[in-house]
Amino acid sequence: MNQFLTVENNQGTLEVSLRNNWVFENIPALSAELEAVDWEAANEVRFKCGGLQEFDLSGAWLLYDKSLDIEDIGGKADFDDFQAGHLKFLEHIIDSAAVNEYIPGFFDKQKTHYWRSGVEKIGKNTIEVFESVGYISRAILNGVKRPSRLLIGETIRQVHATGAAAIPIVMVVCFLMGVVLAYQSARQLEQFGANIFMVDLVANSIFRELGVLLAAIMVAGRSGSAFAAALGTMKLNEEVDALRVMGLNPNQILILPRILGLVIALPLLTIFANIAGLAGGAFIGATVLDINWLMFTERLAFTISPNDVLVGISKAPVFAMLIAVTGTLRGMQVQGSAEELGRLTTVAVVQSIFLIIVADSIFSVVYARIGF
Amino acid sequence: MAERPEYVIRVKGLVNRFGKQVVHDHLDLDVRRDEVLALVGGSGAGKSVLLRSILGLHRPNAGRIEVLGHRIRYEEPGPFKKWGVLFQGGALISGLTVQENVELPIALHSKVPLATRRELAVLKLFMVGLDLTAASKYPNELSGGMRKRASLARALALDPKILFLDEPTAGLDPIAATDFDQLVSYLHANLDLTIVMITHDVDTLFSVCERVAVLVNRSVIVDTTENIVKNDDPWIQEYFGDPRAVRARRAMPGPEPGGVGELESS
Repeated sequence: MNQFLTVENNQGTLEVSLRNNWVFENIPALSAELEAVDWEAANEVRFKCGGLQEFDLSGAWLLYDKSLDIEDIGGKADFDDFQAGHLKFLEHIIDSAAVNEYIPGFFDKQKTHYWRSGVEKIGKNTIEVFESVGYISRAILNGVKRPSRLLIGETIRQVHATGAAAIPIVMVVCFLMGVVLAYQSARQLEQFGANIFMVDLVANSIFRELGVLLAAIMVAGRSGSAFAAALGTMKLNEEVDALRVMGLNPNQILILPRILGLVIALPLLTIFANIAGLAGGAFIGATVLDINWLMFTERLAFTISPNDVLVGISKAPVFAMLIAVTGTLRGMQVQGSAEELGRLTTVAVVQSIFLIIVADSIFSVVYARIGF
Repeated sequence: MAERPEYVIRVKGLVNRFGKQVVHDHLDLDVRRDEVLALVGGSGAGKSVLLRSILGLHRPNAGRIEVLGHRIRYEEPGPFKKWGVLFQGGALISGLTVQENVELPIALHSKVPLATRRELAVLKLFMVGLDLTAASKYPNELSGGMRKRASLARALALDPKILFLDEPTAGLDPIAATDFDQLVSYLHANLDLTIVMITHDVDTLFSVCERVAVLVNRSVIVDTTENIVKNDDPWIQEYFGDPRAVRARRAMPGPEPGGVGELESS
C-alpha cells in the first residue's frame, strides 16, 4: 500500500490520488512511489490533489517533472482540485529560465591534459620565481638606497619569530639526532674497538650536514608555512591591495623583512643546532660508551677544523632564502578561496623542503670539488 | 491542513552581556507566521547578536528561544531543515561551485536521488534568477549581487519555513538592491515563508517588510511599518525622520512583486 498515492485505471485514464505530505523530507519515498507506477498504461493521467496535506516546492517539482515525462511519452497530464500556487510558480520559473540553453557537458567532468598542463606548470613556475626574485632584488636595492625603508623593527620581529622562538624545538630535535648518530656509529665501530671515532662521525655529520639541514627543515615547516598562510590571509582580506593603493610596496613591507629576518635567523639557529647535536653525541658517549667529556672535546678539537663549521653555516643563508622566497611567493599567489590558501601553504612547505635538499646536494658536490 | 502555530519564533527574556555592557535586557520578541519582519537598530544595538542567538550561534546569558516549537540551544543543531540563512557575505563554500553549494544541504540532509538533487538545485538557482553559466562557477568568480543570489538559493534549498537574511542588500548597487528586494517579495508571495531580516536599507524596509522590530535601549519595539514612524522614542524619530527614510516611506506601498523575468535585468 502506497503512502502518498493510489492509482486507479478508469477507462483509459489513470487517476492518481495524492495523499499526505508532499514535502522535501519525503522525496526519497515519493520518487520511489512515482517510479513504481506504470505510466504508459493509459494515455491520460489525472492527478487528484484534494487529499494533499502539505505541499512544498520540492514536492511540486517532483509532480511537475513527472507530468513533463508523461507528455514526453505522448500522454496527457491534468491536475484536479489544486489549491496552492506552487505549480504555477514552477511554470513561471521554468518559462522565464527557458532562455538559458542547456549547456552540453555541464554535469560532466572536465578533461585534463596531463602532459600539457605539466609542461605549462613548469613554465609558469619558472616565470613566477624569476619575477619574484626580480621584485625582491628591487626591494633590496631600494632598501640599500634608503635604509629607512628596510623596516628594521619588523625585520628584528621576524628574526625573533622565525629564529629565537624556534630554538627549543630545533635543539631538542638535533640533540636526539646526535643521540641516534652516536648510537648507530658506536654499534659499527665497536666491532673494531674504535669507539672513539664515534666523535669524528657525529661531529662531521652534524657540523657539515645535519645541523643546518635539520634546522632548515624545521624552519621550513614552522616559518615557511607561516609566511604563506599570513600573506595568503592578507591577500584574501585585500590587505595587500590596501597597502598598494596607499602607495606602499607590499614587497618592501611584507616580503623583505621576512626574507632578511630569516637570512639572519637561520645561520644563528644552525649554531644552536650544532651545539645540541654535539651535546647529544657527548651525552651518549659519556653514559653508554665510556667516552668522557674530556676525551670527547679532545677528539673534537683534533678532528674538526673551522672549515667544517663554516661549511654548515655557509649553507644556512641560502636555505633561508629558499624557504622565505617560496613561502612568501606562494602566499602572494593566494586568490579567492580558503581552499587555495590551504593548498598553497602545503605547496610552500613541500617545495621549500624539496629545494633545501636539492641545494644541499649541489653544495656537497661543489664543496667536494673545491676541497672546502 | 495540519494545525500550525501562530508564532514561528518566540524569544522570551533574552539577556546578552559582554562584560559590563548589556546588549539585551530581558528582550521579548514574537515573529508571526508568514510575515516579513525587519530588525533595525543602531550599530552595537545587538541586531547580529539577536540573530546569532536565535540561530544558536551565540550563547545568551539568559532567556528562552523557540523556533517552530524547537528550543534553541547554543551550538546544538536547530531545526536546520526548516530554516535557511543568508549570511552577510554570502558564506558560500569557496571550494565548491555554485551548483555544488546549493546541492550541499540537499545532499547532507536526505537521501534524494542524484538526478532529483541536481534538478532541485538548478530549480532553486533559476528561482533566484541565476542561470547555468553561473552555476558552474566558483563563488570568487561571481559579482557581489550574484553571490547573494547564490547564497539565497542555498538558503532555500531545503524549502525552509523561515528565512533569515542578514543585511541582504548591503554592498549592492541601488539597482541590484531593488532587484533583490523584489526577489524577496516575490519569494515571500509565492512560498509559505516567514522572513526575518536585518537591514539598514530603508528602501527594503518600506518596500518588503510588514513589521519592524527596532532594537533600542536593550529592548525591542515592534510595530507595523506604518505605525512605527509614529513612535515617540527619540532614536526611532531620528531614524525615520532622516530624509532618506522619509523619501523611502513616501514610495510606499511597495511595488508589485515582480516576476523572475524582471529580476534578471541585473
